[in-house]
Amino acid sequence: MMPVLTSFAVCLAVILGFAAMRRLSGRLGHPAWANPVLATALVVIALLAALAVPMAAFQRLAVPLGWALGPAIVSLAAVADLARPLLAGRARAAVLAIIGGTLFGLALAFAMARLLGLEPLLVTALATKTISSPFLITILGRLDGPVAFAAALSVATGVVAAMLVPPLLTRLGVKDRDARALALGVSGHLVGSEYATRTDPERGGLAVIALVSAGLLAAVLLPLVWRWLV
Amino acid sequence: MNRGQDSAFIALRRVVPGLALCTALSLAGEALVSALSLPLAGPILGLLAYTLWLARGRDSGWSRPGALLLARWLGALLVPVLVGLSLHAGRLADAWLPLTVLMVTTTLATALVTALLYRWLTQR
Repeated sequence: MMPVLTSFAVCLAVILGFAAMRRLSGRLGHPAWANPVLATALVVIALLAALAVPMAAFQRLAVPLGWALGPAIVSLAAVADLARPLLAGRARAAVLAIIGGTLFGLALAFAMARLLGLEPLLVTALATKTISSPFLITILGRLDGPVAFAAALSVATGVVAAMLVPPLLTRLGVKDRDARALALGVSGHLVGSEYATRTDPERGGLAVIALVSAGLLAAVLLPLVWRWLV
Repeated sequence: MNRGQDSAFIALRRVVPGLALCTALSLAGEALVSALSLPLAGPILGLLAYTLWLARGRDSGWSRPGALLLARWLGALLVPVLVGLSLHAGRLADAWLPLTVLMVTTTLATALVTALLYRWLTQR
């Protein structure tokens, strides 16, 4: 098969696989543990292993999905716009909560990575995994960091957040849906927002506002303090 | 044209303008970033421009169906990025325990601080 056709088939298979996993998750009532991003990734990894296809070959063929990521990030503005009425009178609280959560997350990740004695490359990747991948690509590009690895860790962090944050907040009695959406956006960025949008479309917009604000804050802050930290 | 084709055509016409706008803004953002060597990702600039335009609230309705459709599929686009993590299996295997502890702790703590801070600020 021609490489272009193979690439098209691989991208289509990933999209259809994701659609199937999302539908399955919906049938189950969108429980946090049934995350379609993680489930599709696990199926892809299993299939590649079963068919003995090298991971690098898959990554090359899936490149067009990466091209679509730029326009998809722009499109988040429309999701965020849905949540604008929710912020009326509470914008200041939302901004302060986002700033507080982001700074705490960055500081804690740095401190823990250093305390646990991880290698410098892991410290860099782990510190930036607290923010969304399009932002960390920008930040690490300037700081000469491991872009692909950190982007993968960032998405993995999103999966962890989408699966564990909703049950944790429920257990702690945080019922305010706005607070839950903001927390998911700051801690789980794109994957967290994907979960928030699926389960509560209007508040998915709040999660998007949170992920964009957290990313912008980190993009401004990290280059300034980097020299003292690494 | 039969009815099925007709409704598919109408659905397509509803989403194409938004898809085209998001693609154009992403590319314009990339072009601007590389031309001026700005310290931001191109799509982020596009997102900020689109946000400002939507906030003005005039004549933006035509772009929404396409943009919302694209946003709905963002999760699928993240799958290859996550699969890429397995390329670093060696690096992860060496430090999997501290890595897992750190990932879970910092993620949950970040969410908790954000949620509690928001609740405290809105209930004061």
